[in-house]
Amino acid sequence: MRRAEWRTSVAIVVLAFAVAGLSCNRAAPAADDKPTVALVLKTLNHPFFVDMRRGAQEAADRLGVNLQVQAAEREVDVEKQMQIVENLIQTGIKALAITPSGSREIVTALVKAKAANIPILIVDTRLDAKAAADAGVQTEAYIGSDNYAGGRLAGDHAVKVTGGKARAAILEGIPGHETGDSRLRGFRDAVKDTPGIAIVSSQPANWERDQGFNVFQNMLQAHPDIDLVFAASDLMALGAIEAIAAAGKTGKIRVIGFDALDDAKKAIAAGTMEASVAQFPSEMGRLAVEGAVKVIRGEKLPADIMVKLEMVTKDSVKQ
Amino acid sequence: MTTRLARARQFGTVIGLLVLSGVLWALSPHFLTVANLLNIAQQTTINAVVAVGMTYVILSGGIDLSVGSIVALSGVALGAALQSGQALPVALVVAIGVGVACGLVNGAIVSWGRLPPFIVTLGMMSIARGMALLFTEGRPVSGFDEGFRSLATGRVGFIPVPVIITGVVYVIAHVVLTKTTFGRYVYAIGGNEEATRLSGVSIDFHKTMIYAVSGLMSAVAAIMLTARLNSAQPIAGMMYELDAIAATVIGGTSLMGGEGSLGGTLVGALIMGVLRNGLNLLGVSSFLQQIVIGAVIIGAVLVDTWLKPRAGRG
Repeated sequence: MRRAEWRTSVAIVVLAFAVAGLSCNRAAPAADDKPTVALVLKTLNHPFFVDMRRGAQEAADRLGVNLQVQAAEREVDVEKQMQIVENLIQTGIKALAITPSGSREIVTALVKAKAANIPILIVDTRLDAKAAADAGVQTEAYIGSDNYAGGRLAGDHAVKVTGGKARAAILEGIPGHETGDSRLRGFRDAVKDTPGIAIVSSQPANWERDQGFNVFQNMLQAHPDIDLVFAASDLMALGAIEAIAAAGKTGKIRVIGFDALDDAKKAIAAGTMEASVAQFPSEMGRLAVEGAVKVIRGEKLPADIMVKLEMVTKDSVKQ
Repeated sequence: MTTRLARARQFGTVIGLLVLSGVLWALSPHFLTVANLLNIAQQTTINAVVAVGMTYVILSGGIDLSVGSIVALSGVALGAALQSGQALPVALVVAIGVGVACGLVNGAIVSWGRLPPFIVTLGMMSIARGMALLFTEGRPVSGFDEGFRSLATGRVGFIPVPVIITGVVYVIAHVVLTKTTFGRYVYAIGGNEEATRLSGVSIDFHKTMIYAVSGLMSAVAAIMLTARLNSAQPIAGMMYELDAIAATVIGGTSLMGGEGSLGGTLVGALIMGVLRNGLNLLGVSSFLQQIVIGAVIIGAVLVDTWLKPRAGRG
């Protein structure tokens, strides 16, 4: 039996060292006295957040601060995001910039950051104002785009290119997400005074490309006369475009997305997609780090730091 | 022989946890602080409790893939009950009732329907998730009073309430598993179902109860999660089944059933909690974290199988 115990122990020790060795290579430099700014993202498996990290890293390098970027494995996992915030608080970060995975849920973790005197900057997705106020969480600034205005931009564009006559379908994000809800509200408000535009179907595809495909395929089955799609994100729009191609209707249905991802720009250039509202996530990343550094220096920030939005169409893609 | 083997395995797992902690202590000055250890304890609670049910099920030779979805469904039932103005005890009973009911359905179909647990609980995973989404129209139910939230935020002395709840759950579940006939049947069914049946034990009844225990544990986890998030999300608990299975097998419970212990599962859950926390503290990317955790799961089971054929000689 002693022999067996010995073997197990050795194996687990070796395994643990292997793990530690892997970690060592990636450990953030802690020995210098540069302040550390943490950027907690929803996920890193979405181009939007990868761009945001790039912008943040460039700013951090330029300003001479350490940047710690962490994200949950899945975008919707707000409990994991809370764990990350709790763990980062322990490492003595000087400022926290975060894109909340849940506008209400994350507040609990931010209370802990506040108790540790860590200034908080909210990026991209706003906190739920009531939940934050109830918990007494004050933030330094919100950095992001006006999603409602972006939705309106998309709606206005839809009215213009369809001549005010369309059978429209909407692909929604995950219900209850402030970001998606605002975009949809903006779009609906922009088209509601145009009686020729009828919204025949509106369903969530949970921000995902494959769900965009499936949901739109089903919509098209139920309403073969759909000739306009507004998707609250490009991934869902790209899924819808595949479904349109599968139905042999390419060119007959106008698709308007949101985010202006590289794939979406390619689709717009190729003519399979009508337009997309461009956000500038790398700008958000840059402004988040610059804002954090200002706060560390004791400066005040404006409550809202807005990042521009732009309609990307076939004309603007070619430039 | 089985218990000696289990003890050796558990001993190895504890050593693994200590060495892992030692390495993290050497690498990060922030690891070994009271505040951080309490963080780890708190962050481990939900997985640890779900893994109790998973251990019962796996010990009996089954599997339960529906735990994460049951966490979501019983969470939204709890949230809705609280929001409709029900008293806290009533809401807790509702949550537990929903969890146990899902478990009973799982168990009944596995037992009397003679279907593989993998299939039944895979179906329940989808059904419970769908019901949670349908019931809430996909939106989280949130905003609860302080009394309920203290289940997550409160402390007794300096120990967070969820850690105490988890401790109580483990003590009770351990006693049931080791000191009652029901507990002995859990091992017996997993060890040799046919022999247990021939000795006159009602396999169908006991199996149903085992899945009900798993549903109950998911409900307890749902209560802690809802209090922690101050919100019941229909999309909560995704992939919890994999974390719970991982904690169980790292803790030395055999997927074949019949061998293992709750002590091992607790250490398994702690290894996962310590690993995640440590990798966060070290700033390791979330992609690399997934690789490391996967490697630890495979490594632990590899040790398990490596150990088995030789143990008799030692």
